[in-house]
Amino acid sequence: MYATTQNDITRQVVRVAQLLLAYGAESELVEEITQRLGHALGLESVEISISSNSLVLTSLSAGRCITTTRRIREHGINMTVVCELQRICLLTEKGIYGLNEVRKRVGRIQAKTYPAKYVVPMIGLSCASFCHLFGGDLNACAITFLASATGMFVRLAIAKRHYNLLLNFSVTAFVTTLIAQTGYQFDWTDTPKLPMAASVLMLVPGFPMINSISDMVKGHLNVGISRWGHATLLTVASVIGITIAMQIGGLFL
Amino acid sequence: MMSLVLTMLNDAVFSAIPAVGFAMVFNVPRRYLPYCALAAALGHGSRTMWLSLCLPIEWATFLAAALVGVVTIAFAKKHLAPPLMYAVAAIIPMIPGTYAFNTVIGLVQLTAQAEMSPELIYEVVSNGLKTVFILGALSVGLAMPSLLYFRSRPVIK
Repeated sequence: MYATTQNDITRQVVRVAQLLLAYGAESELVEEITQRLGHALGLESVEISISSNSLVLTSLSAGRCITTTRRIREHGINMTVVCELQRICLLTEKGIYGLNEVRKRVGRIQAKTYPAKYVVPMIGLSCASFCHLFGGDLNACAITFLASATGMFVRLAIAKRHYNLLLNFSVTAFVTTLIAQTGYQFDWTDTPKLPMAASVLMLVPGFPMINSISDMVKGHLNVGISRWGHATLLTVASVIGITIAMQIGGLFL
Repeated sequence: MMSLVLTMLNDAVFSAIPAVGFAMVFNVPRRYLPYCALAAALGHGSRTMWLSLCLPIEWATFLAAALVGVVTIAFAKKHLAPPLMYAVAAIIPMIPGTYAFNTVIGLVQLTAQAEMSPELIYEVVSNGLKTVFILGALSVGLAMPSLLYFRSRPVIK
């Protein structure tokens, strides 16, 4: 294999790994996909070292090593991108794609998200179902719907302007709790505590938490711990928002 | 018996809705959304069944999460997609929201009070332990298939 080809392949492989990590895949999956893609494109071995915000990849071919480092910037969870990258890897392994097709497909990937007009009501409905599952009455569910839909709207609006994620979670939790506690203030429902518990559940960092445990269980301890730290920080940020809103409302304190 | 079936159906339907909602936040492709809902309904429904058999909630959650793990691996093999894509959305309805909320409220009350009341400390500790153990059961249960069966081979070939 020529040196330029190895350069090219390594660049594509590390790009795939970078995208996978930026859009929230677990470390085991990243390692598996990069190694399989590298083998399929003709490299002898691909070794990868992941840390919390960067990755180092070494490819070996005909006794010649290339090591390259990439910085990872979190882009939020996007499973469509992860799915697409896995499909590219599988098709390359089956021999359908060569290096050029891989380059073309990877270059064409765009992180599409669902439009806010669908996500906001769906999250409202989701939190209302949580409230129902916890045993809230119909009014409590209605309050939850209103609170979490407003909260989701705020969250998306802040995310669009690229503010810090922790700040975003604090403000969202504040707004959500402010609306959810109207059940206490105006005596609309018999179960006023449940809307407050249910509506902030949309801020649970589910993906970072599950990813971190499954990383740690499968032996990627440092990535797992850093993701755990991230999830904890997000939770603390939401708790600060909730507390401030409750102090304004004069509840529990 | 009839009431149990009704409760299970109720739980299954109302946990399928949040699964779809959260799958949309994670940008799961549209054609896979029904599978997230199905996995969530199976998981939460089976947890209700285990709870009705007088299992503690931690073990019930663990078994339900293991079921979700198995089901989502079947989906993943069928669609050639990563299993966690379905699984995380599916277990979100089982996250111990009220326990976590009560823990946090208790902690805030503890800091606001002049003296520590034993009842409040008891409430914080018991709710906090429940939260931690249910979360652990969820994530370890989800990892069970790849820990027991797919030990060193890839899930999707």
